[in-house]
Amino acid sequence: MTGNKIPTVYELSVPDRHGVDLPAPDVPQTALPTEGLRADCDLPELSQLDVVRHYLALSQLNFGVDSGFYPLGSCTMKFNPKVNEQIARLPGFAEAHPLQESETVQGNLALMFELQQWLAEIGGFAGVSLQPAAGAHGEFTGLLMTRAYHHARGDLKRTRILIPDSAHGTNPASTTMAGFTAVELPSDARGNIDLEAVRVACDDTVAGIMITNPNTLGLFEEHIDAVVQLVRACGGLVYGDGANMNALAGIARPGDLGFDVMHFNLHKTFSTPHGGGGPGSGPVGASARLKEFLPGPVVEFTRDAQGARYDLAMPDKSIGRVATFSGNFGMLVRAYAYIRQHGTKGLRENSEHAVLNANYLRVKLRDAFTVPFDRINMHEFVCSGAIDGTGVRALDVSKRLLDYGFHPPTNYFPLIVPEALMIEPTETEAKPTLDAFVAAMQAIAKEARENPALVKEAPHQTPVRRLDEVKAARELVLTDRAKSEAP
Amino acid sequence: MPRIGFFINPIAGMGGRVGLKGTDGVAAEAVRRGAEPMANARALEALRGFKRLLDNSPNPPAIEWLTASGTMGRKALQAAGFALVETVHTAPAESTAQDTKAAVEKFLTAGVDLILFCGGDGTARDICAIAGEAMPVLGIPAGVKMYSGVFGVTPAHTADILMRYLAGEIGLARVEIVDLDEDKYRGDEWAVRLYMSALTPFEPTYLQSAKALISSADEEAIKDDIAEQLREDIAAEPGTLFLLGPGSTVQAVGRALAIDKTLLGIDAVADSKVIGKDLAEQQILELLDRYPERKLVLSPIGAQGFLLGRGNQPLSPAVIRCIGADNIIVLSTPAKLARTPLLRFDTGDAALDADMISRKFLPVIVGYHRARLVKVAA
Repeated sequence: MTGNKIPTVYELSVPDRHGVDLPAPDVPQTALPTEGLRADCDLPELSQLDVVRHYLALSQLNFGVDSGFYPLGSCTMKFNPKVNEQIARLPGFAEAHPLQESETVQGNLALMFELQQWLAEIGGFAGVSLQPAAGAHGEFTGLLMTRAYHHARGDLKRTRILIPDSAHGTNPASTTMAGFTAVELPSDARGNIDLEAVRVACDDTVAGIMITNPNTLGLFEEHIDAVVQLVRACGGLVYGDGANMNALAGIARPGDLGFDVMHFNLHKTFSTPHGGGGPGSGPVGASARLKEFLPGPVVEFTRDAQGARYDLAMPDKSIGRVATFSGNFGMLVRAYAYIRQHGTKGLRENSEHAVLNANYLRVKLRDAFTVPFDRINMHEFVCSGAIDGTGVRALDVSKRLLDYGFHPPTNYFPLIVPEALMIEPTETEAKPTLDAFVAAMQAIAKEARENPALVKEAPHQTPVRRLDEVKAARELVLTDRAKSEAP
Repeated sequence: MPRIGFFINPIAGMGGRVGLKGTDGVAAEAVRRGAEPMANARALEALRGFKRLLDNSPNPPAIEWLTASGTMGRKALQAAGFALVETVHTAPAESTAQDTKAAVEKFLTAGVDLILFCGGDGTARDICAIAGEAMPVLGIPAGVKMYSGVFGVTPAHTADILMRYLAGEIGLARVEIVDLDEDKYRGDEWAVRLYMSALTPFEPTYLQSAKALISSADEEAIKDDIAEQLREDIAAEPGTLFLLGPGSTVQAVGRALAIDKTLLGIDAVADSKVIGKDLAEQQILELLDRYPERKLVLSPIGAQGFLLGRGNQPLSPAVIRCIGADNIIVLSTPAKLARTPLLRFDTGDAALDADMISRKFLPVIVGYHRARLVKVAA
């Protein structure tokens, strides 16, 4: 595909070519109103076959889990089972209208109710709301609940949220958006939250702490009990960033560890497709003391003399709605199908395999790349992509991986590891794929030492060579036509 | 074609090897104690690393070097294999600080895009005093003290920064030129003094703007974010005296308040208005008498993280005690903190230092509504 640039539909356009011939009108013709006519539309003129080939060719340039290994750390790019898509397209799910009366959508409400119950069971929570539309939206929701909880108790001086320096960047962003001040805590030499820093930070202005466990280094927080106890002892709440739940599902429950509120990323742990802007889903689970603050409506089940029924209801002290209607229902259906297929035992096995795969890769790669926190990891691990003395950096390794047919790992995150490559294979990859990835990474490390220019100039095999990312960020050209009109 | 002025202070670092804590004014003593020149070796290490990076680069820029004779630059450039070298200053065998100044003046006259030098804080000071605050300056560490912001961590790191700067991957940021008073330092006293600011190629602060997307932010823009936080805090506390300390991070607070904050001095603000500039200790004490509510705004100096040094003469122990350790607000950009793992205190008052150290961590404002706990050196 090298240099095989696909022309745009404008470049393919031929004057007066068209895709369909309309039949001669069988009614009297009328002129279109002139005020609605434009001569400057500049639309491409193509046949149907031109259009089909063009977009098929574009679609083949896409890289996804369906086309190859995608070890994007922190994103849990696992396979999305196709049966979930078929289920989500069943007319009863796909064609339900959000304004239908509850009596007419009892099956869909039953699905939501069961999913609430299951997520509460998996996370160890007293209640769950399916409203939030993404992980970061779940964070924001949890923080609004945290504020509502303190305010309901008349405690108005809690303005700070503690966040470890290994946290996802969304944590401090959500914190600021919710009106709190984010206070970053340093990590210790083993990659844990520095316990001494937690001790110093805890006072009566702390509204809570946001913890990702396992953290973004892929490490289980070794002092998690002590951290939770310190924060709770000073009156703060514990927020869980559930992004890394794929290491824990079926094994450990954040609620049991003392977490008060946590979001789940259905597109990570529960295999719903990753957005590209959406739709996502980030349900939030809450402990007994926070349950009444959940956003609504949530689904409730009642059984009385008239029979059993499901209804939408607002929790007593709800922070209100955070999304229209019932959240992204299609994603809920897929996650429901996933949990239903795997069951308790299957979810646990998935987590175990995800952890096993990541440890296998760490051990296989630690000779070729530096692993700064080289201890048993969970579902992902972080190595440094810099090869000393060659000028080869994490970005170069990532670009070269494209030539080997692999999607690169997450680059330059977490921020506390310079030149970070964050690798998460997930449980859905088999050993031959992992071995092929190891072979590619080892080959790149060797190339970096023997012929660094080859790596620094990569990719060589892709339709587009290395992009000037600095220029791209500073001189935005958002449409093909803007390019030709640019000075 | 980039033109780089290259200069080595050949005696830099000699004092450190023989326990002299600096070489300013004691080079002869260092030699008597058996010190051997090491600046040229450090410079060569950086130049060879840089040459290797150029050779590995798909489109290496051709570089025109301007330098001084012999061990003040030319020798190392030739040893590293650079060809386009012009000697603009010829120094005697026993070079002095005057040769540093003469070489830099000739770089400026001839026109260079950047000055690369090898030395310590003293060299950085001498060079920046002539080169001014607008000429990009980058240091290869070879001195005894390297607290100024222009140095790479190692010679190889300096080479990497230079390469990335020339490739357009990183930009410039304003950093501080600081130096210790070596006479005091030899008597086991710290006296960090801020002399001026300089422009240097700077590894950007990486920000995580989405789950897997990293972008770098302009260092000055981050200072403005921090300053906006302070502007709000100052507005929220009418009648409180805010003493703004030295340095470019605190200077940005002046920008946010639309006042002209001095770079090196301590200025006073109350109700968002200037009530004193470049204050001396006595003037500060008088203000403290008038304002029962007071805050002191500081930023750590240099990579060593000194928050209060004896270089800040007006901030005497009496002043700090009067303000109260709880009323010190610390500011820093995340990039500066990345080079500054520990905060250090040297107020000149052991009891006060012990109080600060006992806190173990101090919150540092690193952005708008963002703080970070930073460890205090024991």
